[in-house]
Amino acid sequence: MEILTDLIRSWFGPDKMSDQAVFITVASTMATIMFIVMALCALIFTWAERKVAGFIQSRYGPMRTGRWHGWAQAVADMLKILGKEDIIPAEANRFFFSFAPILVLLGSLLAWAAIPWSPGFVSADLDLGLFYIFAVSSLVIVGLLMAGWSSNNKWALYGAARGAAQMISYEIPLALACIPVVMYTGSLNTTDIVIAQQGGMLNWFVFRNPFLFVAFIMYFIASIAETNRGPFDMPETESELVAGYHTEYTGMRFAFFFLSEYANLFLVSLIAAMVFLGGWWAPIPGLDFAPALTFIIKGVLMVLLNMWVRWTLPRVRVDQLMHLCWKVMIPISLICVVGAGIWMMLSGQAGA
Amino acid sequence: MAQYFADMYQAVSSALIGMSITIKHIWKKPVTLQYPDERQVMSPRFRGFVHNDTKKCDGCGICAKACPVDCIYIETEGKAKDRYMTRYAIDYNKCIWCSLCTENCHADSITMSHDYDHSVYFRDTLVYEFMDPNEAKVPCHRITRTELGWWVEPKAEKKPVEKPAPESGPSDDKGEDH
Repeated sequence: MEILTDLIRSWFGPDKMSDQAVFITVASTMATIMFIVMALCALIFTWAERKVAGFIQSRYGPMRTGRWHGWAQAVADMLKILGKEDIIPAEANRFFFSFAPILVLLGSLLAWAAIPWSPGFVSADLDLGLFYIFAVSSLVIVGLLMAGWSSNNKWALYGAARGAAQMISYEIPLALACIPVVMYTGSLNTTDIVIAQQGGMLNWFVFRNPFLFVAFIMYFIASIAETNRGPFDMPETESELVAGYHTEYTGMRFAFFFLSEYANLFLVSLIAAMVFLGGWWAPIPGLDFAPALTFIIKGVLMVLLNMWVRWTLPRVRVDQLMHLCWKVMIPISLICVVGAGIWMMLSGQAGA
Repeated sequence: MAQYFADMYQAVSSALIGMSITIKHIWKKPVTLQYPDERQVMSPRFRGFVHNDTKKCDGCGICAKACPVDCIYIETEGKAKDRYMTRYAIDYNKCIWCSLCTENCHADSITMSHDYDHSVYFRDTLVYEFMDPNEAKVPCHRITRTELGWWVEPKAEKKPVEKPAPESGPSDDKGEDH
């Protein structure tokens, strides 16, 4: 942020712009960069997902579009979806129907602000960064419910209701799993959390103590449910509810949901990399020559892990889903919080 | 309470087993054949589209008589040594791929090829002409025909590489010469 601010000041000459103007320019630049990164990652991950799914099932996935392994498939799909007719059902509530995809996308995009890409490069260096991320990603639930309800469609409503129930439930273990890390760091600032993990792989929070490792697994499971992906893709179950909450959506509005899904996937993976896997620090100290790249590679590996899980495990039932959340994951996360605290106290590792 | 932990253990262990199986498949070569570029190797006795090698055919018409659905059209002119075949056509709309024509052919000219993917837009296109209409009236006598050598070249068929038949094991290669 400071680098960008200085750059813009030097471009336009000192004292030519007011502080507010500089702030707005910097903020909109960062928002544009984040949006482009988000759109790009959605493009790459749709292709990657289909390739991973293919190879896991002993087939190829897309092979025809573009020369090498159908790399242009995602681009072709995007162009096709842009050319589709924008249909709003006659019985739908027009305002909410049009507004829901924007809200869903907004919820995903806002959370990207607090991601620390490399030292000093974070859109909004908030003191409550982690808290902010979990707070704004709740907007997705509102948009999802809005989309399902305003479509005036049975499947969409079922999908939205399931999605809301699932996402609200799984936000609890998701946040609880991060609490031990916050206890260690003594701060909710995302940059502070990453800086606290400096000095090689053993200083990453996953490997600090067994409770944090369990917390990481809890976080990972909850993040799969939070992004509505298999085996917890209850809102979209294509075999039961045609496509869940976005059944009635076409063209660009559908693309917004799709974009948001993959942006959320990358976001939760980046948070996992940031909170548990040492953020921009390389596994071996002294290899930190490309912090942002290290961070992105960690995020992409987490995304691939997500895909691997999705294409392996069958979908669970709704009651199993709720059982897993309320009766298994929340107690274990709470035990992790307490256990990590006791471990900290006994080993004298208490943070700031 | 014991059941609770047993369930949890089973969930985690079975998920890990499943994931270890799927990760193995990532490194394996996919079983998919890229269809228009790669084709499946057909078994030797696969009955594809019937093909007549007009270089070998002597126009006797036994195949047309053997055909239960009358899908082979042979037209000849003249008699004895001056007998000419003017048309040899197979109507694949009618053909039932029974292979009776190939079994009755004494010249081994009509065979079941390994082609199976000739889709067309119009039904008329499925009547395959094996003689060049411009070069009609060709003598049907075998020797004369070989000497002249102006018969219509059959369309070059992409023969898939056939696996050598396993030498031991149950023999299923009788009648392979069809």
